[in-house]
Amino acid sequence: MSSENKKLKILSYVVFFMVLGAFAMVLFYAPIEQNMGIVQKVFFFHVSAAWIGMLAFLVAAVCGILYLTKKRMIFDPIAFSAVEIGLLFTAIANFSGMIWAKPIWNTWWTWDPRLTTMTIMAFTYIGYLLLRRGVDNPEKRARFGAVYAIIGFASVPLTFFSSRLLRTIHPTIFGGDTGDMAMTSAMYQTMAAGIVAFTVLFAALLWHRSILAAREMEIDALRAQTETLEFGEVQDD
Amino acid sequence: MKDWLHSVRTLVWKDLLQEWRSKDMLTAMFAFAILTLFIFNYAMELSPINRAEIAAGIIWVVVVFAGTLGLNRSFTAEQDQGCFDALVMAVPDVSAIYFGKMLTNWLVMLFVSVLIVPIYSLLYNQSLFNAGFLLVLVLGAWCYSAAGTLIAGMTVQTRMRDLLLPILLFPILMPVNMAVVKSASGILTAAPFEDVQAWLVLLAAYGIIVTTVSIMVFEYVIRE
Repeated sequence: MSSENKKLKILSYVVFFMVLGAFAMVLFYAPIEQNMGIVQKVFFFHVSAAWIGMLAFLVAAVCGILYLTKKRMIFDPIAFSAVEIGLLFTAIANFSGMIWAKPIWNTWWTWDPRLTTMTIMAFTYIGYLLLRRGVDNPEKRARFGAVYAIIGFASVPLTFFSSRLLRTIHPTIFGGDTGDMAMTSAMYQTMAAGIVAFTVLFAALLWHRSILAAREMEIDALRAQTETLEFGEVQDD
Repeated sequence: MKDWLHSVRTLVWKDLLQEWRSKDMLTAMFAFAILTLFIFNYAMELSPINRAEIAAGIIWVVVVFAGTLGLNRSFTAEQDQGCFDALVMAVPDVSAIYFGKMLTNWLVMLFVSVLIVPIYSLLYNQSLFNAGFLLVLVLGAWCYSAAGTLIAGMTVQTRMRDLLLPILLFPILMPVNMAVVKSASGILTAAPFEDVQAWLVLLAAYGIIVTTVSIMVFEYVIRE
């Protein structure tokens, strides 16, 4: 346990400097974009945050499958923590996108596939958190959480395709046929640094949060035990 | 397989008979659907010009809202009487329970559509009796009950119950809503088939994916 703690501590320090480094690259290394100006710099963390939002929900769905097949309780706090962190990063992606969209698209919001999908995904996982709050039995809560994470994740690509069938104005960096945002190699390097830094940050946060969640569950279990001990006798009188 | 089919048929028959004897839910769903239609009438100012394009959207929202009422009730009898365990023991495989409940929900939604489509046609003097449009409704209702039955099986066992169902269900159903409304209004406005085709494929894909996933995970929803 203590060597685990040590590893986590080291990882946390590494993450701190990685994020700091990525931030410095965004500020000083990446050139200012010709047409959009300084506001384009939001893009680097926007993409990284959106990526973590997706990755977190993939992790939750995989943990859900692992929980249902392997029946090991450990996967439940990981899935729960991934959803919570993913929700935070999805919010960061959405709000940083809005900051960029206002000067560039002249609107805070547009019904673009990526925006719609990310927001619907966020609502799916708000539902996940609400569902968990509605179930008291920890084993049942883990089961329901797993089922909902799986079905929720399965619907994400369908939401994306369906909103893509409508038109899009969002700049496409990867796999698109329209080159509306040409990037220099310094920009690509900065973006890669941001994505790597955020991915490691996610791993560290997930680790921290999972330990906390597992402890919370332990406390809940102990509390439930003592309550039945205390009140069980009173009810018998 | 024969046992399985027999269980599904018995389960659907049981639920439909139970519903038919009381008619509580069907009456409530029907009244709710009509009231929603009236709300739309005044909220949207349905003029004859825009009516053709938004008819599909209105019908679908009405059916979905009424369907949510039905879904909320689809497991309450078993949950309140504590016969989930008996139900699980009575079938050869739990997927039969999922299929039975899904078919019942689907049929109930189709029943509401069968009532609401002629009423809409009558009120707005716009015939909706179009094979393509009805096919889209049937497909959409299938997707809806496929996802809804799974979610309702979970929410009925939670503290918040009916409050939670739409919150969990609507985000998952977003592709269905888009596909139904786009394809149905395309059909009603006589758009070329190529415009509608992709949406129909999406609907079918959604139904197949969600039904398959649900069959795989449903045993974890009702197992005690």
